Amino acid sequence: MRQIIAKRLAMLVLVLFGVTLITFFLSHVIPGDPARMMVGQRASEETLQEVRRQLGLDQPVWVQYFTYMKGLLAGDFGDSIRTQQPVINDLITFFPATIELALTAFVIAIVIGIPIGILSAVKKDTGYDHAGRFFSIAGISTPVFWSGLVGILLFYKVFNLLPSSGRIDLMVTPPPTITGLFLLDSLLTGNWAAFSNSLWHLILPACILAFAQLATVTRQVRASMLEVLSQDYIRTALANGIHGPVLLFRYALRNALIPTITVVGLSFGSLLGGAVVTETIFGWPGMGKYVVESIAFLDFPAIMGFTFVISFGYVIINLLVDLTYYALDPQIKE
Amino acid sequence: MKRIWSRSHLFTSLLLILSLLAAACSSTPANQSQGETKPPENTPAQNSPAQQAQSATPADTLFVAINADQGTLDPAVTFDNGAWKITYPTYQRLVEYDGATTEVKPGLAKEWKVSDDGLTWNFTLAEGNTFSDGTPVTADAVKFTFDRTLKIQKGPADVYNVIQEVKVDSPTSVTFVLSQNFPPFLSTLAANYGGIVNPKVMEKEENGDLGQNYLANNTMGSGPYQLTEWRKGEYIKLTLNPHSTVKPAIQNVFFKIVPDATSQRLQLEQGEIDIAEGIPKEQLKAVMAFPNVSVLQEPSLAVDYVYVNSTKGNPALQNPKVRQALSYAVDYEALTSSVQEGFATQMRGPIPKGLWGHDESAHQYKRDVEKAKALLAEAGVSNLKLDLLYSDNKAWWETEALALQSFLADAGVTLNLKKIAYATSREMMDKGEFDLALGVWSPDFGDPYMFMNYWFDSNNLGLAGNRAFYKNDKVDELVRKAASINDKAEREKLYKEAQNIVIDEAPYLYLYQMDFQLPISKQVKGFVFNPMLEGIYNLADMSK
Repeated sequence: MRQIIAKRLAMLVLVLFGVTLITFFLSHVIPGDPARMMVGQRASEETLQEVRRQLGLDQPVWVQYFTYMKGLLAGDFGDSIRTQQPVINDLITFFPATIELALTAFVIAIVIGIPIGILSAVKKDTGYDHAGRFFSIAGISTPVFWSGLVGILLFYKVFNLLPSSGRIDLMVTPPPTITGLFLLDSLLTGNWAAFSNSLWHLILPACILAFAQLATVTRQVRASMLEVLSQDYIRTALANGIHGPVLLFRYALRNALIPTITVVGLSFGSLLGGAVVTETIFGWPGMGKYVVESIAFLDFPAIMGFTFVISFGYVIINLLVDLTYYALDPQIKE
Repeated sequence: MKRIWSRSHLFTSLLLILSLLAAACSSTPANQSQGETKPPENTPAQNSPAQQAQSATPADTLFVAINADQGTLDPAVTFDNGAWKITYPTYQRLVEYDGATTEVKPGLAKEWKVSDDGLTWNFTLAEGNTFSDGTPVTADAVKFTFDRTLKIQKGPADVYNVIQEVKVDSPTSVTFVLSQNFPPFLSTLAANYGGIVNPKVMEKEENGDLGQNYLANNTMGSGPYQLTEWRKGEYIKLTLNPHSTVKPAIQNVFFKIVPDATSQRLQLEQGEIDIAEGIPKEQLKAVMAFPNVSVLQEPSLAVDYVYVNSTKGNPALQNPKVRQALSYAVDYEALTSSVQEGFATQMRGPIPKGLWGHDESAHQYKRDVEKAKALLAEAGVSNLKLDLLYSDNKAWWETEALALQSFLADAGVTLNLKKIAYATSREMMDKGEFDLALGVWSPDFGDPYMFMNYWFDSNNLGLAGNRAFYKNDKVDELVRKAASINDKAEREKLYKEAQNIVIDEAPYLYLYQMDFQLPISKQVKGFVFNPMLEGIYNLADMSK
């Protein structure tokens, strides 16, 4: 186990190195000049050159890359061109919000998706199956910008139950930062006002995001459950008088979960990067919204930082998925 | 043994996190049903957003929805109107724009004198102005501000490069020595980059940055407000400068970041916000129907026009007759009524209505397809094919491009639409790699210089201003002369002469000037729109 982790961590370094290389050069060959964005359109050539010099943009690209990597190794992501702040500060501010949203959506998708998947498999080709599949397919085929707006229209405008944007009310003081996740931090500090308020803000975006991910879970669970249920050992178990929940959960589900974990785990990675639209609609102050603003400004350091962190998250999730795999299936050995 | 431990450990911790979050989520319905009846008892009333949505916002607090978070707030660095709405009320300037006009009135300076040659400007400061930390505003602070801006050498420094020296004569008297006569100088002092910065910012200096890092996130001015809280991605909060002599009715201002237009619209309708900046034109008609909202509408100085590449594009465009033909092919009325829903006015030459120097008697192109065809024939051009460069920077450009395509087709000109990413399109415009391109322009200071010298002086080729790559020696001479003297009447005459040439030679298609529109709650009183300060609020005079 240790060996595997060590090996995968070594790979991680390589992958991340590749990611920085590709993003850096890609973002630098795209025409467009961040210095120009910064000084305004009407600046003179001298001012432009001076700002280019200040930003280090007058250097050859490989020198810029070298400087960037040198900083990165020391944990320095450079300064954002748009906010003039260290990129790391911005990432620390925005990353927890995205994690909180993605994680909650992920949990909702699992909590709802697995039972639907099981039900669909057990009651294959019945009304339950069709309804369950219809529900989950509706989720994946509805674009988030539409379901999000409908959600806001219903729950904010018509019923006036839930807020339409933001992470917490303007008038409510957020909990002190421990993990950066408002729900967790307010729980840890016993701040119930902040807890209920941030939960209130979280419900709608998380459910919308979960709705879009639901089909991935249900379809996978359904397919692998069906496959497992047709296996010989299940028939043997049935013949031995084992049935009902014991059969389903102890014998079938555990095996059906293995492929599900892979798919669902990777879908969490896409949740991280894919929360962009949801964040924009719900004014959720996360990384997605931040990177959209940064791209519009050609803010290279910020774009690089975002890509780096997302790739890092993706690789780590991949690793965790594989490890869970080992944990669930003792047959898989290094 | 070791392996089993790590496996189970991993599993338990994962389960722990999941169950915690599941618990958090399963409490959802309970909370929701509480909201349906009345707010939970353990939560103060204002903590419930649903509750807040139903009631009006506090009378001493203004909520403004903005589209995106701001970049740096340093007046010596920022060139972004978005940031100016924060910095303008938090700093004061030597002179200020007067009400809704493009003229200036005394600000920190109560009076000023300019030498005959226009090279020496002397300002006498009013007493009693104080930075938000209690430090009085003195002539030293004025000198510090401009020296700092020039040392930082970013966008705003460009505007002040004419300053040779700032001299402190006494604590209340300061003199600017200019390297050349620059008539719009006074007007530039009223713009955002003229904001006077507290010299104590040097205490916050890091690695010789002259406090740029600190001022990116904080304000240190003497305006009636100060920035007290900035939750990135969520809101920016202004509160009163306790030392200001101005006592505004609005005590707190929240600039709330709501990127989605529909959310803004709903929040405005529910009374949760007072002003919504991000509602697109096509939705404004629906907003006008809200009982609690009015849509303010004023002519602005922002213009929408087409650069006709006069030297570097299709060679046919070097002939003024071809450019005139294009100008005659456009149906201006149809354009403003369809693309801008009627909230725009056709331009009459480069200087927009509302700015001095505008010439109401100047020639205005009207659609005349026959004349356009005749001009093309005269120029010996047939089957003309042109590229139109634009980006998604402005929502209406897509429709506008299509409209132009059909107008020109009537005159026998094929327009090939080239939609390119914003940053890339700017690069191409700067290098002149286009035939026609869509653009917008709004003045930084209230002087025709902003249009005539930027657009037509052949020293400004490219994005800097002369985006048509137009060169005419007579025009160069006229606008340069107009920029070197202080006699307003004489300048107006010179600009008028230059305008007649550039209207005739048509290096741009002068399309229209846009109306400024702002959906604003009927409760909000006292907002005055100044065309020089688009997107900036006179917060200190407003109330609810």
